[in-house]
Amino acid sequence: MTIRKILIFTPILVIFFLLQSYFWVPTYEQQSRGNPNRLNEYITASIGDASILNPILSADSASSNINSMVFEGLIDRDEELRFRGRLARYWDIHEEAFFYVNEKANIPGVGKAGAKKVVELLKRAKAGDLPANDEVRASLANIEEIFIIPAREFLVTRHEKKTETDQEDTEVKIKVMAPNRINLVLSSVDQDLFQNLSLILGKDYFSSFNGENYLGVDQELGQKKRAEYAKEILPSTEHNPIVVFKLRPNVKFHDGHIFDANDVKFTFEAIMNPKNLSPRVADYEPVKEVQAVDPLTVRIVYKRLYSPALGTWSMGILPEHLLNDETLRDEANRVGKDPEKFSIRQSSFNRHPIGCGPFVFREWKSDQYITLNGFDDYWEGPPNYKRYIYRIIPDLLTQEMEFYAGTIDSYGVQPHQVQRLQNDPKYQGFSGLSLGYTYIGYNMRREPFDDHRVRMALSMAIDVDKIIKYVLHGQGERITGPFVKQTDYYNHGIKPVPYDPEGALKLLEEAGWKRNKEGWLERDGKRLQFTLITNSGNDLRKAILTIAQGAWKQIGIDVRTDLLEWAVFIQERVDKADFDALILGWLMGIEPDLYQIWHSSQTNPYQLNFVGFRNPQADDLIIKIRREYNYGRQVAYSHQLHEIIAREKPYTFLYVTKWTAVLDKKIVIKETDSKGNVVYKKIKPTKTGIYTFHFNKWIKLPEVPSFAPEG
Amino acid sequence: MLSFIGRSIIQKIITLFFVSVVSFLIIHLAPGKPSQVDPLNPKFTPEMVERFRKEFHLDKPLYIQYIYFYRDLLTGKTVSWKDNQSVLKKIWERFLNSLPLFIVGTILTWTLSFPIGIRSAIFRGGLYDRSSTFFSYLLISIPGFFFAYILIIFVVTRFHVPVIGMETFGLGASSWTHMVMDRIWHLLLPSVLGATGGIAILSRYVRSQMLEVESQDYVRTARAKGVPEEQVLYKHALRNALLPFVTMFGLILPGLIGGSVIIESIFSWPGMGRMAYEAILARDYPIILTVNFISAVLVLAGTFVSDVLYMVVDPRIRL
Repeated sequence: MTIRKILIFTPILVIFFLLQSYFWVPTYEQQSRGNPNRLNEYITASIGDASILNPILSADSASSNINSMVFEGLIDRDEELRFRGRLARYWDIHEEAFFYVNEKANIPGVGKAGAKKVVELLKRAKAGDLPANDEVRASLANIEEIFIIPAREFLVTRHEKKTETDQEDTEVKIKVMAPNRINLVLSSVDQDLFQNLSLILGKDYFSSFNGENYLGVDQELGQKKRAEYAKEILPSTEHNPIVVFKLRPNVKFHDGHIFDANDVKFTFEAIMNPKNLSPRVADYEPVKEVQAVDPLTVRIVYKRLYSPALGTWSMGILPEHLLNDETLRDEANRVGKDPEKFSIRQSSFNRHPIGCGPFVFREWKSDQYITLNGFDDYWEGPPNYKRYIYRIIPDLLTQEMEFYAGTIDSYGVQPHQVQRLQNDPKYQGFSGLSLGYTYIGYNMRREPFDDHRVRMALSMAIDVDKIIKYVLHGQGERITGPFVKQTDYYNHGIKPVPYDPEGALKLLEEAGWKRNKEGWLERDGKRLQFTLITNSGNDLRKAILTIAQGAWKQIGIDVRTDLLEWAVFIQERVDKADFDALILGWLMGIEPDLYQIWHSSQTNPYQLNFVGFRNPQADDLIIKIRREYNYGRQVAYSHQLHEIIAREKPYTFLYVTKWTAVLDKKIVIKETDSKGNVVYKKIKPTKTGIYTFHFNKWIKLPEVPSFAPEG
Repeated sequence: MLSFIGRSIIQKIITLFFVSVVSFLIIHLAPGKPSQVDPLNPKFTPEMVERFRKEFHLDKPLYIQYIYFYRDLLTGKTVSWKDNQSVLKKIWERFLNSLPLFIVGTILTWTLSFPIGIRSAIFRGGLYDRSSTFFSYLLISIPGFFFAYILIIFVVTRFHVPVIGMETFGLGASSWTHMVMDRIWHLLLPSVLGATGGIAILSRYVRSQMLEVESQDYVRTARAKGVPEEQVLYKHALRNALLPFVTMFGLILPGLIGGSVIIESIFSWPGMGRMAYEAILARDYPIILTVNFISAVLVLAGTFVSDVLYMVVDPRIRL
């Protein structure tokens, strides 16, 4: 009967056809042996897809990964995490400082003085005619030139809402009669300049200058508003740090166009253009002006002292010729969109980026892969790999399987797999510290956390080493303070708090907490009781929550715990500082700027110093660090700050996690030595643990190479 | 017949309108916000959030947003908030990727279920019937993702070949037969996994239909007049047992756009289901709503098609 035969044989045929395809698929070994091209390709995987391939607009890690391959910044960080020139060959940082002549102030030994007299005085002081201490002398020696900017009048218009409920802005015209101003050109940035000069010009010389006297406003304004305008338009003193970048000549974009200073200026303007909605506006807010002095010189003037700003120039540079107003207008007309509303954000450039990085964009299949080709004209020489493929594999286990099958070259190992994979002869493993840390924060506004002894005792009662051993499977290290552990800013002289429950009890007893009959700690009949919270959905934090609760209960503290959904946790508890103690983590940048997290001005609701840490000494250091341009001094200040925070224990600093990556062992570094011989070397991570640092020199070999042991 | 078609089209348009309103409301009232305007997203300052809100019309009342959205959709101008790509283009691309999975999965389901189910019905109560019942329930109750992981780990560690994605990466320039076969290999696992649940359910369904038809008078009559057993089963019984499956065929249609979220994510298959899932996570309203709207259209079209098919194959039914 035919129907029966059809019913039986069709599925058998279908299954047979599907199964035979197995014999056509290459295995792990065949992939690198039978196919020489495969050796020139590097394949890596990511959980999420990129969203926008434009360095000034991207905000997710996948996009940033690709952008860092396609685009190149002026500078980046070298093996020691110091800045090094990329598109910029070198740079120079100096400063121009300004102050208004305060004709009403009495200068010691001179009396009231005009601009000329002040300049004369400063010149005399510089020549050493006036008594001064070493610091003042250093500041004076740093001054290269002194100019007078003559008094001038100008008009400023501001738009102001008269009342909170006003819909329309009113125009406020302000007539400014600026007095004489003195411009000091300094050979290096000097944050103490005005403090030191006030020893010569008189203690109140700068602070008693009142800008309001020089403003004429055409409307009634409150006293507060006037003072605000005065401070903004006529600040008594001003620091303008200046960075001059000398650019590398003959660097080409992928389309052959030569890179120059205008591209840098354009990139900055594109970021600041409100139409583009760049998430990086805040980074560049301190920039006053970017000038293209000549095709190979860019001069960047800052509004104030803010040293972390230098790092922002690692941002990839956009090609001006492809994204300027004219080309955007053409594109808008071509695709039939309103040219007025059309911005870089809408441009097709974001899916076909062109930069001057080591790899050229080739293809992007959403949620599948992004491929890049090696750039033959790369200024540092073309990368060894001909192709870079970035696959999107949303599932970690399948990523692992693809790695075993040989269709991914690297795999980010999970903590519990490290033991097994690191010793596998087929792979080479790398491990390093990540940039974030996990902590328990105490609300210092509340009892009993306002007492330093209690915070110390709580830290002593937790065995962090055990947490690292059992919860993190050993993939973590202890941390004692808020700086990134692998940088110089971190003070390695500070020892972690030892695990000592007995000592903790003693400290608590000093603070007045004694054990009652039931074993709970008590003071004045009140139990030591609080709630420890964290967000749900993070298994590590949940484990720590339980461990901390258990450890503290053992010494007689009545700890309640609560897991909250992330949005509730942040909006209702953290932002409003409505908590006793919490477990959270910070992801840090390399820059040592701790203003937002630790400065006492940031303790209000919705700010990041939610534990309410206030310490005048720390405040002073935090400000000094962000104003300091000298690396050595910055490191010294950071060490001091680290010490204060470690001593005060607003947090119990727990640990920083380690990442581990495994690579196929066939991947090596290939270099050509001075005689033209090809040399293969083992891939070694840098001191700070970055193993991809020499990525452009990597290549895959058909067989696992064997290296002579290095002596 | 014509009046039936006219009536049902009007009814379906009304349903569609209500679906569009309800789905729009559900998405806008659900907790969470698009990542670009989420106040919890540290990358965006309040001013930028405000500007995004304006650009996405989120500052307008809901009914205006509704009109804007469906105006854009019907003129084909909707763009994804995530990457500014045209939504219809994105969906079409994904649809083409999901299509082979769907086709192979459907072929496997429909070709395998019938022989399995029919055999169970013929030897009901026997060892074969019992074990197939057991395996059917096993397959229905084991979660798909679990099964998928087991299969992947087994194949990769045993045979050392890649199974994830639509093709082997870095295959380079091989002959086209290699490429085609490679793609088929990559289709195999996800479509088998997608089909297992279907086979389990459908084969049960075939079995019960066959059993029901076999107890009918005309089957008994056929047997009584001495028609060979095979002819009784495959001509008299099977044909009548097939009737309800015709309606099911129409209902497969929405599966075209739904794809399979779990299987596609595990196999990193760039299909419809995964796109919709990721859009939901990012609260990419245009994509979610468009997919929703299209699947609503397909569901309605599917019911319509199965109604019409039923009329065609079963002359007893008149609507």
